[in-house]
Amino acid sequence: MKRLVITAAMLAVSTTAFAEAPGGPNCGWGNMLFKGQSGIVPHFLASTTNGTSGNATFGMTSGTNGCSVDGTLTYGGKAMVNNMFDEFSADVAVGQGEALNAVAVAYGVDKQDREAFATLAHQNFATLFPNENVTADEVVSRLEALMKADARLGKYII
Amino acid sequence: MIRTLFPHLIAGWLLLLPLSAGAAEAAWAQAQARALWKHETWLDLVHYKAGTWPGTWRSHADDPAFFLSAQGRQDPRAELQATLRAFAEPAQAGDEHAQCRFVARLDWLRNELDLGELPQPDCAAYREFRQQVQATQAVLVFPSYYLNSPSSMFGHTLLRLDAGDAEGGSEYLSFALNFGALVDPDDNGLFYAFRGLTGGYTGQFEVDQYYKKIRDYNRDENRDIWEYPLNLDAAEIERLILHLWELRGIDFAYYFFDENCSYRILELLEVARPGLELSDDFPITAIPIDTVRAVQRAGLVHDKHFRPAHGTVLRQRITALPPAQRHWIKVLSAVPERLEDAELQALDEGTRAQLVDAAYKYLRYTQTGAARDPTMAARSYQLLRALQQQAAALPRDAPAVDPGASPDLSHGSRRLAVGAWSEQGREYLSLGLRMSLHSLEENRTGFPVGAQINIGNLDLRLEDDGQLDLNRLDLVDIVSLSPRDRFFKPLSWAVQTGIDRQWTANREHRVAQVNGGVGASGRVGPAGLVYALGTARLEHNHGFDDPLQPALGLRAGGLQDAGPLTLHWELGAERFANGQSRTRVDLRHNLRLARHQALHLQLLWRDQRGDDTLAVGLRYQHYY
Repeated sequence: MKRLVITAAMLAVSTTAFAEAPGGPNCGWGNMLFKGQSGIVPHFLASTTNGTSGNATFGMTSGTNGCSVDGTLTYGGKAMVNNMFDEFSADVAVGQGEALNAVAVAYGVDKQDREAFATLAHQNFATLFPNENVTADEVVSRLEALMKADARLGKYII
Repeated sequence: MIRTLFPHLIAGWLLLLPLSAGAAEAAWAQAQARALWKHETWLDLVHYKAGTWPGTWRSHADDPAFFLSAQGRQDPRAELQATLRAFAEPAQAGDEHAQCRFVARLDWLRNELDLGELPQPDCAAYREFRQQVQATQAVLVFPSYYLNSPSSMFGHTLLRLDAGDAEGGSEYLSFALNFGALVDPDDNGLFYAFRGLTGGYTGQFEVDQYYKKIRDYNRDENRDIWEYPLNLDAAEIERLILHLWELRGIDFAYYFFDENCSYRILELLEVARPGLELSDDFPITAIPIDTVRAVQRAGLVHDKHFRPAHGTVLRQRITALPPAQRHWIKVLSAVPERLEDAELQALDEGTRAQLVDAAYKYLRYTQTGAARDPTMAARSYQLLRALQQQAAALPRDAPAVDPGASPDLSHGSRRLAVGAWSEQGREYLSLGLRMSLHSLEENRTGFPVGAQINIGNLDLRLEDDGQLDLNRLDLVDIVSLSPRDRFFKPLSWAVQTGIDRQWTANREHRVAQVNGGVGASGRVGPAGLVYALGTARLEHNHGFDDPLQPALGLRAGGLQDAGPLTLHWELGAERFANGQSRTRVDLRHNLRLARHQALHLQLLWRDQRGDDTLAVGLRYQHYY
């Protein structure tokens, strides 16, 4: 009986994770645009103490945390798009900005191709961001498809 | 199988042991000859500080994992000997081997001593770390004052490590080195403050991507960030990263005032550049901006960069628009469809694009800290689409946000004051020491508008009969006056607690009190600010029949800058539960003589004992 309850619970957990995270089960790249925060009260302590709760991270981003890494953007790069999704979308809308440039750097786009990268993203804004419910993972795969089809930027997507 | 392997293992041990152990003993003999454990670099690497008793030492690291000797925490010599021995141990331990864990000690000792042939453990975890964390430049980062959180009101410092050429954007992927308390999210703010002051928290270093810091500070907390690139060379940065690895997961006690984030950053820099002495200057408090200045004085800073908060950028975008059109910002952020209005369509393309840009930023700003709202998300998306379509009409290079004076240019954090007072026919001298940091009427260069952050202000009076007495003691005295306007609606507030003197029943009493207030403030002209707060006070006063009395009241005042002179006036009225009431008019003039010097003239009229009283005082203030 106990085992049954546990199995049922695990099943429930994993289905929710599937439903919420397009990057895979338990993957955190499912952020939608304008995600916001779950509330200011826990945040007050979590980030204003200059500290961290639980285990302090130590620069190790190569682990995948259960997220699929099928594109060319590294785990760290995807995590950045997911975290700075609003900044990235705003930069794509105006066609320039630090978040957009940082994504280009994460893709290994050479300096002389960054302008082309920015233009490609900007001109295809509606493709990348078809509505306000698009997730970071979807935007990354659309961006990679666009780059792959581009004569100049295709070489960065192998 | 095990039985057959075992003798071989033993034999291997016996073969290996004398060789490496012999080398370790030889290295130790060299170290002893030079008393190497007294070397400054060794003391820095193990975070030793001189103990109270001469010749004794104690490491700030509060973690047995950081020491290879059981006495290591107090004994630099024993720790050095144990380190040399541990380096020579068989390589099988892998990641747990002392050579893998104490890479900076190994690097330094290799240079100082002949370590002979050491075993070569496989340091897989360290290799992976180094693959991730590389740097060609180190930057000292100061997220500015944040009055809404007790832990951040003095600002904060962290280090950033930039890989490759740090041109626009790649800093997002740089690594941020942050020393912070490991907190329990269930602790409440007050508990945090208490534990933070008394060392109840454990602190650790954390290494994470810089974009998370940008998000936390620029967006979530709406704080400007100042970045100070350092001139550490490749070898110095290498030492810093080596030592950083040794500190992974190592506990330090976290003290809010001295052994805090900023102090630990100084220690890291001392390891990076041997011979630097930074942390010794901060025995009592390490106020973040003072540590920035110490790093500047040591000649490490070669540049300054401003990274504005979202609110700062929004304010700049609003100001860049013609005043007659600014109302559209709110209209569009509420109803994006109004973009089709004929009146708006009649505007030139550039202004229209800037309005959409500002409306988008404004809408997002209002959602800071809020959970996702589908209506707001849909509206934000509409504006973003419109922005994308009109982006070509935006000024190609958006005008840079005016950062104002950087925080390192502010007056000194501590203040000494000498004054002469006359009150009700009595004269006395006053002597004051304030540990930190800034009052409203003081030289505002490098401080945010309307911020008063005073912790530990002691004022003594010397009467004409030679008697020394307490004039006032402010433990905490914080005021946050954020002006409201059409777009920004922050609250203004004040908290103060300490001991002051009050006329009660025709006698002056020293009273313990805590008071606070909430209200609003607004701008008057380009250099003025007015405010009004509803206040509450709890006072312990022996002049009352029942000494502990609560009171409610009002305070209102204004600040006006006129060149080097700042005038601060305030009216206050309070009524206690026992029926007593107080009225007060306070006029303060602060004349800036130089960056670190000021003259302060105060007139304080009080009506609270039947008769009214007037005190006039002139004070010379020196900041350091």
